[in-house]
Formats: sequence, C-alpha cells, structure tokens
Amino acid sequence: MLEILIYGAVSSAIYAMLAVGFTLIFGVARILNLAHGAFYALGAYAAYVFTSLLNLPLLLAAPLAVLLVAGFGVLMERFLVRPLRASQLAVLMITLAVSLAVEQALFITFGSEYRNVPSFVADKISIGGVDIGGQRLLALVAGILVLLLLWLFIQRTRLGAAILAVSQDPEAAQYMGIPTNRIFSIVMAISAGTAALAGVLVSPFLTVQPTMGLLPMVKAFAIVIVGGLGSIPGSIIASLILGYSETIVAYLVSTSWTELVSLVAVVITLMIRPSGILGRRAAF
Amino acid sequence: MRQISSIDLAGGIAVVAVLALAPIVISSNYLTGVLTVCAIYGIWASSWDFMSGLTGRENFGHSLFIGAGAYTAGFMATIWFTNPWYSLPAAVVIAVAFSLIVGFPTLRLRGPYFALAMLSASAILQRLCLIFWEYTGGEEGLYGLDPLIRNPLQYYWFVLAILVVTVIVLTLLAQSHWGLLLRAIRGDEATCQAAGINVTFYKIASLAISAAFAGLGGALYAHYQLQVSPPLFSVVVSITIIIMCYVGGIGSIYGAAIAAILLTLLTELLRGFGEYRLWIYTLTLMLILFFLPNGLIAPLWRRMTERFR
Repeated sequence: MLEILIYGAVSSAIYAMLAVGFTLIFGVARILNLAHGAFYALGAYAAYVFTSLLNLPLLLAAPLAVLLVAGFGVLMERFLVRPLRASQLAVLMITLAVSLAVEQALFITFGSEYRNVPSFVADKISIGGVDIGGQRLLALVAGILVLLLLWLFIQRTRLGAAILAVSQDPEAAQYMGIPTNRIFSIVMAISAGTAALAGVLVSPFLTVQPTMGLLPMVKAFAIVIVGGLGSIPGSIIASLILGYSETIVAYLVSTSWTELVSLVAVVITLMIRPSGILGRRAAF
Repeated sequence: MRQISSIDLAGGIAVVAVLALAPIVISSNYLTGVLTVCAIYGIWASSWDFMSGLTGRENFGHSLFIGAGAYTAGFMATIWFTNPWYSLPAAVVIAVAFSLIVGFPTLRLRGPYFALAMLSASAILQRLCLIFWEYTGGEEGLYGLDPLIRNPLQYYWFVLAILVVTVIVLTLLAQSHWGLLLRAIRGDEATCQAAGINVTFYKIASLAISAAFAGLGGALYAHYQLQVSPPLFSVVVSITIIIMCYVGGIGSIYGAAIAAILLTLLTELLRGFGEYRLWIYTLTLMLILFFLPNGLIAPLWRRMTERFR
C-alpha cells in the first residue's frame, strides 16, 4: 500500500513536470509543441554526456543540461515556429519535424543502444519498510520544488503577471506594453527547461535511448487533455490521477496494461467533459 | 459542381500508362517491388488527403489505420489460416472500427484534440504490439503471410489498379456535394453548423472512408512484405505520408498520390544515405513549410495546364 503511494507520487511528479511545460506554452503562446518529448530526451542525453563522458559533477551537469535544452527550445521557437505562427497546422508540422530531427540526430550520434547514466544518489532510503531508490526520491522532491517555484514565479513576480496577461489576451497585453514575443521566448525556455529536467532526473533509472521521448510526450498530451488544455493546476491534478492510476494498475493487474490507462482516460474525458477538469475554455 | 476536365483525364491516363508499362520496359524484379511500394504509399497518401486535406483536420496517426489493416491481415493469415483474399475486406472493417473509436470522442470537438488523439493512439498501439508479444510476435512481428498473387508483376498491376480506383473514387467524392461540405467545414465550421449541416457526421464519415482505404493499403502491404511488424504503427510512417500530401498540395488527392510515388522512388535513390535518409526527409518538410506552403505537384500541374482549360 505504502509502495503504491510512494511510487505513484514519483511518477506523478515526473508526469507533472512534463505536462506543466507542455500546457504552459500552449496556454500562453498557443503553440502545440510536438517537440516536447524531444526536449525530454535531449535532457537525458545531455545528462549522459556531461556525467558519463565528461565526468562532470552532478551539481554542474544537471543545470548545464537544462540550460542547454532551454536554449535549444528558445532557438526553435524563434527561428522555426515564430515565422509559421499564423497557421496552427504549420506549427504542428514544424514541431513534429524538429522532434524527428532530434530523434534522428541522437540515433546517428549515439546509436540505438541503451545508455546508462550513473545514479546521482546511490543509497536506498527506507520509508516505513519500503525501500526506494534515492534517485527516485530525488526526482519526486525536485519535481515538487520545481512546480512550487514555477507557481511562485507566475503568481508573485512581474514577469509572471506578464505571462498570465499574455495567456489571457495576447493583443491586449501587447497594447499594454508587454513584449509578447519576448514572453513567448521566456515561456518556451521554461517549458523546455522543465522537460529537460524531467529527462535528467529519470535518466539514471529509465532507459536512455533516442525514442525515449515519444511515450512520455503522449502521456503529457493525455494529462493535459484530462486536466484541461492551458490549465496548470488542472494538469497537476491530472498528473496525480494518471500517475496513481498507472501505479495501481501496475500493482494490481500487470505493467503491460499501464499504457492503456492514459488512452482510456483521454477517451473518457473527451466523452464526458471535453474541456478537461479545470479547462476554462469551452472546447466545443 | 466542377467537372473533371479532359486535360486532367489525359494527364491521369498518361501517368497510369507510364506506371503500368515501366516494369515491362525495364524488366527487373527490384523495380517492380519498388513500384508496388510506391503504389501502396499512393493509396495511403490519397486517403489521408481525403479526410485531412479537405476538412483541415490534421490526422497525425494515419499509421494507426495502416497498422490495424496490416495486422488484421497478419492475424488472419497466421492464426486462422484463412484465404488471403478475405483479409482485404477484414482489414477495411477493422480500420474503420478504429477510426470510429478515435473519431467519435475527438471529432465533435474543435481544437487540437483529434491530432493529439491520433498521434497518441498510434504510438500506444505500437507499444502494445511490443508488450503483448505472445500474440503479435513482438519486434519481429508476424511472419509467413501468403501472397495474394504469386507473380510480382501481376501483383503490382493489381495494387496499381486499386490505387487508380482509390484516386478516382476519392476525387469523385471530393468533387461531389459531399466534398463541397467537407471543404466548407475547413473554411468555417461554425457557419456550417449554423446552416444546419451535421458537421460531426461528415467529419467522422470522411475519417471512416479515409481509414477504409488506409486499412486496405495496409493489408496490401502486409501481403507484399509477407510479414507485419510494429514499425507500421510508427509516427515516422504517419509523418512520411503527411509530407507526401504536403508536397502534392493539400486537398488535391491526385497530387498526394503522385507525390507519394515520386517521394518513395526518391527514398529508394537515397537508400545509400542510410540513417541520414530520415533527416533528408525532415529537412524537405521544413523547406516545404517555409517556401512552398501550397505544395508542389498540384499547383505546378494547374499552372502548366492553365492554357488548355
């Protein structure tokens, strides 16, 4: 029972990190970023390069990896997405193209075999008789911290207020003197950075390989649809729902069936409440 | 209603004649095989274009229908040992069933739900194929399908004939009242709804038609390769098809089919580039998005034949 509670929390935290970034860039810039999974994979590979190949210490490698991917996200938004913003369709296509290009680049550079990243925290920690890897616990703590910081940033700072303003009405925000395009870049950096951090944190205990980004991204879609497109609290609630349902299914039925959980959740949500749990915008 | 002009008809007949005679002129089994794959991709691309090109609803998981059709053929051949010809109608039925499962909850909504759901569904199905490897054969897939027609050249002609029928049926549908409604949905869905058109019905029905041809193509592919494997469901297959439709000119159907044939040939020529091939593909897509937003084949053909209309 306690096992389900802890493992569910860990996967919820990782899903939440992915989903929040995905929903943020959609809510603010209306960019449906199909390259989100590529950021996650890039984060994991950057962690691999910095720790295993260059032997950098963790405290240097992790921020470096996150910054690198955030920079990549900003460049992608600036030079590939922005010129095509007028058409939602072209944005979908270009981000999907970027994600395939990244996957292929990783494949060509590192090959398709699994890469190992050394654990940042090697010890096992025992909570109430349940042994849990320190790395997983680190992912959980870091995830909660990141979400908390993000919430404080958006609610308490001027920049956060500007982001909220743009998400409500980009044109009006522009008239009020908010540099909309710069806000888009900042949000893209945050979005790519959180995805990369998720990738860095899971890299020691999940398989690092070129196609690793696709399924987590699919999960992020599902979470965002269940929680309501563009709603951050909604996607956190949905992460908890999905993370725990998957863990429970894994324990009670079998791990094979976990992949179906998100699909079923999406179908049910779209049938009963298409705007999601906390989606404000009417979806139909 | 727009009629099919005689110049379009002449062009179509010329292209089909060249395609049909090419393997006789250059007699090689390799070329016949490549052309068979070309024709199958033509079926997939034109079926994608019918739904997504006309209604503007991007289907990012066409491989779902392709894989469903192919695996249906695979299961029928390796588990029930039925006559291979039965797998064609069965593949159509299964693909249509999948289209209804995904289409019903997502196509009544606006927004990106349909695109996301199709992409997710195809990715998850690919994963399920690996997880339930006892039934699906896992990475290796299912082997030992029987060919529909033993002679490769005759099989190629058979597939080409299906491609021609597909393009004709879809073009006729696209130019009918029905196609007009689909294009109207692309233009302004709210107005269509206000005019009393059952928008959801038309979108789901067009997805079902699209899925039917994609599933048929999947079964044809399975009986050409004589095996089916999980990559059929992959996002790469879907994106390849979308690139073909973009190159052909969205919404033109014949453009998608011709672009599919040309790009598949190009892919064969690029085989020497090995793992860089997909990169070249992705780069093509980016260039087209930036410089040729209306596509290449259909606009070119229209401009060339302007004088004769």
